[in-house]
Amino acid sequence: MSDEHCDEALARLYPYLDGELDDAVVAERIRVHLVDCPPCGGAFSFEERLRVVVRSHLREDVPADVLDRLRGVIQRESLGS
Amino acid sequence: MADQANFDRDAMEYAPQLFAAAMRMARNPADAEDLVQETLLKAYRAYASFEEGTNLKAWLYRILTNTYINKYRRDSRRPNETDLADVEDLYLYRRIGSEHSADASRSVEDLVLDGLVEADIKQAVESLPEAFRVPVLLADLEGFSYKEIASILDVPIGTVMSRLHRGRKALQKTLWEYARTRGLLSDEVTDVR
Repeated sequence: MSDEHCDEALARLYPYLDGELDDAVVAERIRVHLVDCPPCGGAFSFEERLRVVVRSHLREDVPADVLDRLRGVIQRESLGS
Repeated sequence: MADQANFDRDAMEYAPQLFAAAMRMARNPADAEDLVQETLLKAYRAYASFEEGTNLKAWLYRILTNTYINKYRRDSRRPNETDLADVEDLYLYRRIGSEHSADASRSVEDLVLDGLVEADIKQAVESLPEAFRVPVLLADLEGFSYKEIASILDVPIGTVMSRLHRGRKALQKTLWEYARTRGLLSDEVTDVR
């Protein structure tokens, strides 16, 4: 555990979680740090769980009549053109 | 070049996903339907200009996003830079930690994550300024990469990263307020639940 590694991890929190870190060496160093450093590991794991909660709650069931109307609009457009 | 005859087969499967994103943009079902309808019509009419084999989903979201911004934008596209300046990193996590002992924190984290309901999350996302809401939706609902979001919004990747970062922090601040209001953080309420 070191402040330097904590700072590095925190500065790249979202790119790391988003799988967007270009530098594989940095990504691996962060991965190891999260195992070694419980505060950072806990924080990253919380952020990861929060993302899953957010994503699952943002899903939306489209009402069938809405979907029918949208299909109908495109079908009419294709007949008219 | 894509054939209009294949639009129904190839593009219409994204209609439900487009509607979910449109709901959080337009904030009500009627406007969301209008928004998706306009998006699909524009996409259909321009389908010949879509290069087959490239990213159809990103192309549709680009049309959706532009349509939304042109149709519903009331405030300036530029985010209010001062609005979100004070939100610290790991906002929600640190708030939970600061009010509870290390032992209790873990279970309070669970209470908050399990206790936030669909309406909380939807409302919190809808409360974000547009410039932050759209990148957050594209990343956290749709799972687009930074590069795809940059192309959809026509902004540099650095801008995408900064807006996502700040949008997610602002979201956490709002969720913290909801968690407090709904009593997710206190033992007394835990007993009632």
